Amino acid sequence: MATEKRDKEEEEVKTDDGSLKIKPRPIVQLGIFLVAHSPVFSVVFSAAGVLALLILPLLAKNTYISENALMPGSARSMLSNRDVSDGSKLVKDIKNYRLNHEGQGVEVQKLIGKYMSEMGAEVYYQKFHPEGNQFHPLHFFSGPDSYTLLDNVSCASYGVNVAGIIRAPRGDGKESIVLVTPYDFINGGDYEALSLGITGTLFSLLARVTWLSKDIIWLVADSRYGDYRPVAAWLTEYHSPSFKDSDLLKCGELNTADKFRRAGTMAAALVLKVDGRSERFEDTLSIYAEASNGQMPNLDLINVVNYLAVHRQGFYVKVEKVVSLLSSSWLKIIGEIFEAVGKLAHTLNPDWNFGIPTADYLEGSATLASSLYSQALGIPTGPHGAFRDYQVDAITLKVSPRFPPDSKTRQHDFFLRGAKLLEGTIRSVNNLLEKFHQSFFLYLLTSPSKFISVGVYMIAFALLVASLPMVAASLYIDGCKALNNSTLNPAGNFKSWKWLDAAKQVFALHLFGLIVTLLPYFICQVPGQHSPSNRSIMWGTTSSSLLLITFATIPGCSPFSSRRHGTNWAVLKSVTISAAFIGLCLMSIINFATAEIGALLLVPTCLIVQPIKPALRSRRIKSLLGAFCSMVLLTIGFPVMLFAISKGLFGEGLVGLSLGGEFWTWLESLWAWKSATYLYIGMVHLPCWLLCLCILFHPS
Amino acid sequence: MKFLILVMLLCYSFAFSSGDTTIHTNNWAVLVCTSRFWFNYRHMANTLSLYRTVKRLGIPDERIILMLADDMACNARNEYPAQVFNNENHKLNLYGDNVEVDYRGYEVTVENFLRVLTGRHENAVPRSKRLLSDEGSHILLYMTGHGGDEFLKFQDAEELQSHDLADAVKQMKEKRRFKELMIMVDTCQAATLFNQLQSPGVLAIGSSLKGENSYSHHLDSDVGVSVVDRFTYYTLAFFERLNIYDNASLNSLFRSYDPKLLMSTAYYRTDLYQPHLAEVPVTNFFGSVMETIHTDSVYKAFSSKTSNNKINSEMPVNQLSEHDELQKANIPNDELKTEKQKCPYTQMRVDLHEKLEKFENVDTVVNLGIAVMVFVVMISSSLL
Repeated sequence: MATEKRDKEEEEVKTDDGSLKIKPRPIVQLGIFLVAHSPVFSVVFSAAGVLALLILPLLAKNTYISENALMPGSARSMLSNRDVSDGSKLVKDIKNYRLNHEGQGVEVQKLIGKYMSEMGAEVYYQKFHPEGNQFHPLHFFSGPDSYTLLDNVSCASYGVNVAGIIRAPRGDGKESIVLVTPYDFINGGDYEALSLGITGTLFSLLARVTWLSKDIIWLVADSRYGDYRPVAAWLTEYHSPSFKDSDLLKCGELNTADKFRRAGTMAAALVLKVDGRSERFEDTLSIYAEASNGQMPNLDLINVVNYLAVHRQGFYVKVEKVVSLLSSSWLKIIGEIFEAVGKLAHTLNPDWNFGIPTADYLEGSATLASSLYSQALGIPTGPHGAFRDYQVDAITLKVSPRFPPDSKTRQHDFFLRGAKLLEGTIRSVNNLLEKFHQSFFLYLLTSPSKFISVGVYMIAFALLVASLPMVAASLYIDGCKALNNSTLNPAGNFKSWKWLDAAKQVFALHLFGLIVTLLPYFICQVPGQHSPSNRSIMWGTTSSSLLLITFATIPGCSPFSSRRHGTNWAVLKSVTISAAFIGLCLMSIINFATAEIGALLLVPTCLIVQPIKPALRSRRIKSLLGAFCSMVLLTIGFPVMLFAISKGLFGEGLVGLSLGGEFWTWLESLWAWKSATYLYIGMVHLPCWLLCLCILFHPS
Repeated sequence: MKFLILVMLLCYSFAFSSGDTTIHTNNWAVLVCTSRFWFNYRHMANTLSLYRTVKRLGIPDERIILMLADDMACNARNEYPAQVFNNENHKLNLYGDNVEVDYRGYEVTVENFLRVLTGRHENAVPRSKRLLSDEGSHILLYMTGHGGDEFLKFQDAEELQSHDLADAVKQMKEKRRFKELMIMVDTCQAATLFNQLQSPGVLAIGSSLKGENSYSHHLDSDVGVSVVDRFTYYTLAFFERLNIYDNASLNSLFRSYDPKLLMSTAYYRTDLYQPHLAEVPVTNFFGSVMETIHTDSVYKAFSSKTSNNKINSEMPVNQLSEHDELQKANIPNDELKTEKQKCPYTQMRVDLHEKLEKFENVDTVVNLGIAVMVFVVMISSSLL
């Protein structure tokens, strides 16, 4: 009814000559208006997108405990000196044993196992193979179960995990909380042993408390092959038991067959590491939360740990930040501008309190950049990443004590406080009735106690990409007009099919991108040992030859083809922009941070790029400047270049000429961690970059 | 004509019995804790504390309907297994030996709650789970949980709205299930729950006004949760000073709430309640009328309500007036005794009983009665 009525109203609008003209709806009118003025709006939207990203530290909110059941810090700690002395004894025993014995045995594991069983826990040992996951294109998004146990493994290298389970005295045994302490049983330093001391202290307490509703699992992961692998192997075994006896079980003197024990679904997991000496006066606690593909644990878990560490145990809590940004002058200027604007707003209306001091802004931005970067990379920042694959909320806590590791007097206090922190966290998680679900899963941290939720940070991305469909539509209209004027071909009058030529080219290049993405799998299959740089050269040459073949075989695809076959560049750009838009939007669903950083690079390039030849011919400053900008952006946009720049930005520095090798290693790490960023680079960024290159050298 | 007068007499006698002057016969308490989950420990502790108090003040277990939505005592997180405390000093275990929980766990639903109030039960529901009150009953309804504007959450799944409560109370009134009803609610925005009440004889008290929160009183850092709410804590503090014979008035209870200590404003709705609050002892609701009937043998004892009915039904119709007269005659006597013994109804019944016993020549009394009636009828007919 309502639409009919409106239709009638529309019909009543008459033009001057009396003929009926249907007035379009407001939304359509708005669309037409935006498309007609797309150059202005695209600049405005893109600028607003970048600005929105810059003001994110100002919009960060203080974290709060969202889940009622958690109640952190409401219970008094029950740790006693006896527990601490138990923990200290464990550390002393391990140190003594390691001093007197050398070798590869599993005696240290047995020592820890003995300690656990003395506490009344169920103890078992697990052997695992250090070989991690191999790149396999088909396993990209599949679950962590995809890498199967190799059948004929050698006994030459394997690791042994120890795990102990304390059953909740009156619990239903359906849930558990996991504590992980990675420890290198062969080369582990004194600091690493302290983490065993803290957890040993805690374990001694938990074995006698009456309030447990979830079982406690303490996993001492054998970290001689890295932190991640032992935890991942244990989790795989925990969740997908293999009923086939592996050869690994018979290796060594320790028989671990039929001993693996489980304890229900995991409510949360805490990975504890002690490393290095704190640079500050207080003990420092660093929280690492990023798991694969930018997945984060529930914010409540971080909140609880942060709350207890700051307000109860007096740790200095920090999260990773990009240190080089702290001293960058341009960011400082922006911060000062924001501070001034904030103060001005406060004088205008005392209720407007969005201004923050420049120093806070710098800290926030550096942390935000690190948070964004870690999420975009898609590589977990610690062993907790393995838990996220099973939808278990987990974080890594890295504690740096302020004393040297051999100071006995300080050690007691350190164990007490570390164990109290873990006890409080466990007691909170123990109170939970359901999985963590109340607080955010999608957020960026700007400090341990400040976060930006998905609703806020999406705005920056939405503004950035909003200009793409607008410009695409306007270019398409322009291109169609140009085609109509230039060709007399009656077939060209089928207006709706004009994008087909351009689409063919875009499709061909995306297909090329897909093949390039899959190439490393085949390169890895090439027999013989090759250095990363050799492999990258192999990859580079095959990719470029493939590109040449693509250009040669598909007419009209190459920028160097004759004008007759070539498509109108405006239509090509329109389709390219559409493809980039779709790619970015899809990526923003999979990993927002990647899409955000990708959009920052891709959107300006796509918008600004124009054929260079007419610009050079016209010799006007404006077009020359445009051409220069697009050249610069395209140079930066090349993935290898990008990698080099980001390396420089994060202060890691390049090792001479091995750029190709390093790039290969970097990409290898991406696919080893199944990072969707790798797919994004290969299948969205690279094709769009090539298409922009085609447009730049378009012979129009 | 006779018939008319008889009907008038009958009407009079009914009006007399069902009006406000109905005598307070017994006390009931419905105590409801509506929230589950470990972190709502305090709600269960609130309810159990009140259960203990009304039991101490004389309401027997069979007249208390206790509804607890969760079992904190046996929760695995409870550091003191099978015990519930409402104070961090852990001196008083509320979950001792004599706790009879009538509705527990998932049985505590809005439906069951309304069924208890209105008395519409399935046939299979045992008497112990029913509110078997009568028109002379004083009922205390205590509820605690999480509430909001005109609702109270049950089990984190459903809600009791103020309309539902008002409707149930109205039905109770219609069905003569209470004489006086006191509703005490300890939730956030408790006052809003009484907005729709209309039935006379209802007294309502809530822990907070609209827009206010009700807060917990203190945290037990051994158990790790808050163990009692402020409103209930101060209510209990008031009652701890009282014993079964105390004469403290409702007014003194209401005045004992200090908004500063409560951190919310206690709200009373008295417009539906006639008696003057200063004259009503708290034991009218929180205690019990004590009815001790001395009998020689076990089986001759009448139960309070049925005995009256029996007398009415067994007596021939023409004796009715006489019975009324007897009652009227007894009233002054009764009042005198009330001052002394504070147990008017029991005393009256005992007196009546004694007098009936004294009549040895029942036949003459009946004959006299008929003669008087015939005389009255003659006079009235001659006048007309």
